[in-house]
Amino acid sequence: MGCLVIIVLTAVLGLYMAWNIGANDVANSMGCAVGSRSVSIRWAVILAGICEFAGAVLVGAHVTDTVRKGIVDPARIASLPGLGEGEAAALVLVGMAASLLAAAIWLNAATWMGMPVSTSHAIVGAIAGFGIIAAGWSAVDWSKMGQIVASWFLSPLAGGVLGYTVFKVISKLILGRKRPVPAAITITPFVVFFLMVVVTLAITYKGLSHLTGEHAKWITGNGAFLVAAAVGLVSALVSKALIRRALRGKEDLPLPEQLELVERVFAPLVVVTSCAVAFSHGANDVANAVGPLAAIVDIASSCTVKMRVFVPAWVLVLGGSGIVLGLATYGYRVMHTVGSKITQITPSRGVAASVAATVTVLICTRMKLPVSTTHTLVGAILGIGLARGFGAVNRRVTRDIFESWFITVPAAAIMTMLLFMLGKAFLLEHVRQALCQSMPAGG
Amino acid sequence: MSLIKELFGASPFGPLVEHTKKVHECVKQIQPLLDALLKGDHEEIHRLQDEVSRLEYEADKIKHEIRQQLPRRYFLPVGRDELENFLRCQDRIADSVQDFAVILFIRKTEVHPALRDDFTEFVGQVMKVSNTLTAAAVELQNLAETSFGGEEATSVLDRIAGLGEQEWGADRMQRRLSRKIYGIEKELDPVTIMFYDKMLQTLSRVANEAENTGDLLRAMILKG
Repeated sequence: MGCLVIIVLTAVLGLYMAWNIGANDVANSMGCAVGSRSVSIRWAVILAGICEFAGAVLVGAHVTDTVRKGIVDPARIASLPGLGEGEAAALVLVGMAASLLAAAIWLNAATWMGMPVSTSHAIVGAIAGFGIIAAGWSAVDWSKMGQIVASWFLSPLAGGVLGYTVFKVISKLILGRKRPVPAAITITPFVVFFLMVVVTLAITYKGLSHLTGEHAKWITGNGAFLVAAAVGLVSALVSKALIRRALRGKEDLPLPEQLELVERVFAPLVVVTSCAVAFSHGANDVANAVGPLAAIVDIASSCTVKMRVFVPAWVLVLGGSGIVLGLATYGYRVMHTVGSKITQITPSRGVAASVAATVTVLICTRMKLPVSTTHTLVGAILGIGLARGFGAVNRRVTRDIFESWFITVPAAAIMTMLLFMLGKAFLLEHVRQALCQSMPAGG
Repeated sequence: MSLIKELFGASPFGPLVEHTKKVHECVKQIQPLLDALLKGDHEEIHRLQDEVSRLEYEADKIKHEIRQQLPRRYFLPVGRDELENFLRCQDRIADSVQDFAVILFIRKTEVHPALRDDFTEFVGQVMKVSNTLTAAAVELQNLAETSFGGEEATSVLDRIAGLGEQEWGADRMQRRLSRKIYGIEKELDPVTIMFYDKMLQTLSRVANEAENTGDLLRAMILKG
């Protein structure tokens, strides 16, 4: 009984985190489509909801696995001297709950103070904080932490490089040409192919196990490449047909008109690529809400610190639903505000930025690294700015990114430590007993 | 707080094109001013001078707006100095037109019959220089669209390639006209000669500044 209470409590907290993610973060994911006026806010919300949910459920297991046991491995806590296994399990349970609570509190505090919020940074800092205070420095897997922190630097950089590259391709091979219209018909399908291959591979290759279990081995193994190539090819051909139909007969108009037409044709494309960003965001960020829940569920059900192999699918569904809920109730307004400020993102720039962000975030997701989709997108936009793609880009954003790292992580860690100590003092015995009740004799 | 919200400032290229068009409106008044001068219609000159003054003021407003919207924290696809110089130089075109209008306005100067054709030809050439510049400068937004590269940039550079030669043509016409004036100086009163000189100077400045602006436009495209 006690275990159920704990699970429900953490689930509610996880839902709350997910709601926050949906309300605040998703606006950035669809930013490229909304800013370029390629989609109405209502449709942006609907599409984002579908894609975030899909990303969370289909690909969300990888980073969730990291959050639940990659930063602080519960097994490592159990192996520390002086702890019985029941005690270790209880510690981890309290710790995970404390982490989630701390991250949620920090989220609200930072929003209220007008500071940058990154749920990824908050939850990673929180869990690391719990690990340190619960069982000392060695409780944290520092090599994994190192990888994670490195990815926080590298993801905006990678986004920048990719954004620069994709935009240069669009700029040189389409917009810069004497006749952009035929160039668009030829080149755009390649961009579509690239994107769809990455997205498909992210879903299938060594993935989906949490949904399919041991089945569908072919699709998750080498078959994934074939499937990805096929999906890419079909998407590319469909896009080519659609673009050609839209631009038929316009090959010889004067240059300024052709440029305008190409931008217009990119509008539906940027909606698709923004949906891909939303998908990758859901895949990466759902872990911030339900990673701790995944850990707690496993502990509570097995009363040991041993994590199951696969992240339970219903946990991802819960997280995804929370995100959709937040998006539907509050995200509308945020999207409207954000969208009105980023109108410099024209469709061509939007396509480059969103493709860059999607690819980077999906690769990080598959490497099981929690990254900030927003930072990656900002990196991509800065990269495009460097390619002379925008009129006036704010240099100071880089300072805000650094601020997020150096403030959010310690703040979340400290808050977790406080909460954990409180929890340990007041709740630990209750939790341990609740766990022991459902334990087999002698466990 | 959303990082993305803070990411962009206002793009200067829309307002820059507006500035170009406003300055061109100014320059377009040179022809009617000359016509009024040749007809001796001083009321029309008065009206046109007011019009030029108004247009020049509006161009100034756009200029201030551009400067205000670009604090140093925004990084731009073109050099900030190049942009500032271009703007200032293009603004001087309007100033010179304003000066020309004022000179026609403050004194009822008559154009000697022997000089009428040369005046007309000179003004036509000055207009040509300015039109060439304008045709290139209005492309600034399209240039921003193609990131100041590709075919659009090449085409704009081509357009201002002839600018130097056209301005030289204006210079030569000005010299010819000056010689003619001094050739018939015995028939003219000294103050009239003075005002002819002022007119030629201001018109010549219009052509000069147009050519300089074209050079700075080239720098913006190539250097940024």
